Amino acid sequence: MQSTYTVTGMTCGHCVAHVTEEVQAVPGVTDVQVALEGGHMVITSEAPVDFAAVKEAVSEAGEYEVVPA
Amino acid sequence: MSTPVSTRPDARNSIVLDVTGMTCASCAARIEKKLGKVDGVSASVNYATNKVLVLAPPGLPVEDLIKTVEAAGYGASVPVPDAPPPPDPAEQLRRRVTISAALAVPVILLGMIPALHFTGWQWVSLVLATPVVAWAGWPFHRSAWVNLRHGATTMDTLVSLGTIAAYLQSVYALVVGSRGGMGVEVYFEASVAIVTFILLGRYFEARARRSAGSALEALLNEGAKQATLLRDGVELLVPADVVKVGDLVVVRPGEKVAADGVVVEGSSAIDASLITGESVPVDVAPGSAVVGGTVNTTGRLLVQATRVGADTQLAQMARLVEQAQTGKAAVQRLADRVSGIFVPVVIGIAVLTGIGWAVGGAGANVAITTAVAVLIIACPCALGLATPTALLVGSGRGAELGILISGPEILESTRLVDTIVLDKTGTLTTGVMSVAEVVPLPGTDPATLRDVAAAAESGSEHPIGRAIAEQGSPLVSTNFAAVPGRGVTALVGDRSVQAGSAALLRDHGIDIPDALAEAAAAESGIGRSVVLVAWGGEARGLVSVSDTAKPTAAKAIAAYRALGLRPVLLSGDSAAAAQHLADQLGITDVVADVSPAEKVAKIRELQDAGATVAMVGDGVNDAAALAQADLGIAMGSGTDAAIAASDLTLMGSDPVHAADAIRLSRVTLGRIKGNLFWAFAYNVAAIPIAAAGLLNPMIASAAMAFSSVFVVSNSLRLRRFQPLP
Repeated sequence: MQSTYTVTGMTCGHCVAHVTEEVQAVPGVTDVQVALEGGHMVITSEAPVDFAAVKEAVSEAGEYEVVPA
Repeated sequence: MSTPVSTRPDARNSIVLDVTGMTCASCAARIEKKLGKVDGVSASVNYATNKVLVLAPPGLPVEDLIKTVEAAGYGASVPVPDAPPPPDPAEQLRRRVTISAALAVPVILLGMIPALHFTGWQWVSLVLATPVVAWAGWPFHRSAWVNLRHGATTMDTLVSLGTIAAYLQSVYALVVGSRGGMGVEVYFEASVAIVTFILLGRYFEARARRSAGSALEALLNEGAKQATLLRDGVELLVPADVVKVGDLVVVRPGEKVAADGVVVEGSSAIDASLITGESVPVDVAPGSAVVGGTVNTTGRLLVQATRVGADTQLAQMARLVEQAQTGKAAVQRLADRVSGIFVPVVIGIAVLTGIGWAVGGAGANVAITTAVAVLIIACPCALGLATPTALLVGSGRGAELGILISGPEILESTRLVDTIVLDKTGTLTTGVMSVAEVVPLPGTDPATLRDVAAAAESGSEHPIGRAIAEQGSPLVSTNFAAVPGRGVTALVGDRSVQAGSAALLRDHGIDIPDALAEAAAAESGIGRSVVLVAWGGEARGLVSVSDTAKPTAAKAIAAYRALGLRPVLLSGDSAAAAQHLADQLGITDVVADVSPAEKVAKIRELQDAGATVAMVGDGVNDAAALAQADLGIAMGSGTDAAIAASDLTLMGSDPVHAADAIRLSRVTLGRIKGNLFWAFAYNVAAIPIAAAGLLNPMIASAAMAFSSVFVVSNSLRLRRFQPLP
């Protein structure tokens, strides 16, 4: 299944890489696609992923905020 | 270069790393976060300077920190203290000259001494000459080619053309002549001598050039190298470039302020003379702005950084210098200017000669040989020595007299300097505060006033107080107390003394008579700092302190005038102080209270009005103006930034030497012009001989030898240059 989020605060390719790396590490996540433009993030997973875990991972990546799209 | 200095033994080490790969501020945040996860580590990244300051427990390997940064997707390394020095151009030239000379000497001896002419000597010459013309002369051929593509001819064109013509002509004569079995005239010695002499000239010039260093670097070096950060109540000594906006920096007396900022705690006097040219120290208290690079003189200050790195005033001045330097056109080499006209003319004569002989019925062979002979003789060997020997001797004599020339070609600048712009503080004045005037009120003895003031100030650390105390006093003071921003109080003998501002006296309930207020206003009106003195509850008089003119300043101004120069005083100090000095020295053109950028603008304004400007200065604030001027002259006692931005440096601090420097540059230029004339004259005289088909190697050698000897001895006469008495 896929779920979509919006990440704010990303300014360059590095930010995208950081967010991708951290969210990828969330248990259950099989794939993450992050776009700098618009801050879209699509998470692919077997089972629904806990939003709190995603939020935690994104803030771990840097000074970014995430909300469900 | 990690700097594990801390003020507490149990504190963490501070380590500085260079970081690469950061593209935005969030990168910095990420690195801080990643490093922060390592046990006991906290980090702060300066995105602007690509540095990270890490506080780590002792014993944590730096490699671990680097790995952490790399895991976050960036590069990290321990800063390398200094980049390796670039290869010395003089050293590279020396190799080329040595090899060229080793090969050329046998060729020249063979060519000039008929007794050495063994069978086949010409072939030996050919073998030896080939690498000289092709390899040693390569820089000339390449430069000639580059210039040709721009349609320009320079000295290199002449050298390249002359040597190739002489070489090819000789090879041709050798091949054809030996087939015919007749005597062969070869010009190998001419071609190798030209290459070697001119390389030698270039080497002399490279030697004479002092490694000027980058003005930019010197300027940034004026800033503090290290800063004491106050973080979590702990003082940490760190490299100044890790300071971030908002950091609290401790500045002790005698230290430089590490960044532009605002004082949050403490009070002191800041000596800004190097940066702004202001001669009087500025009193600062919480809320005052301070500029990075200025020196804290008395009290401990806590400064919050507001601008760091490229945003500081010092960095802005550096950019100003850079702009002025890049905007300044290189001195066009005289030899190139002459060559620019001479070369096309010579080529024209060669072509006409060839056509003339062909039309006159001589064979194509004779026509071409004669035309080439014109090209061979036209290239003067001495040309290579004309400028460099004069510059070498001129700059050598200058060095003996304490005039150091950073780029000797500045002596070649043909536009005669007619205006001399002078900085005030440190250039015409000593830059040190001393007592200017002692004004007692009626009923007070001036000597007593001076002695009491000196004794009262003897405990003072303020620069103005120290200037008064330095006079010495037979009296002894006790119970000294400094009132920050106001002055001092002390017990001198049985007198209770107050010395300082009007506010200090009023605090003690002492009236200031009108006569004293007027005297104080008069003194501060000419840019002096006034200290009012009172004892026994009554105002007694004042002592004023100022930066005083150097003893030779008036003589220097007269010397400039004698050289036909118009002196202009250009100061960052107050209009009152500048005008007072100008009146003292008889300078009529005064521009005061100017920022470094306005100094540059003023010089440009003079230049636009048609003046050729020499600038004499010593401060960081003069650096850009020195670079902008046609001739920048720095005081050796001044700052490295001023020295690096200037063309000439005067050892010591005597402004009279600036007149000597200008005289020396004028004499040297005259000598260069004479040399160039004679270098060309002998060869030009031989052109008709060549065009007539009468040139032989002996004539070519004679022209070469005569002009070279003349040029070198003419240059050596510069050794007799005498300074002003």
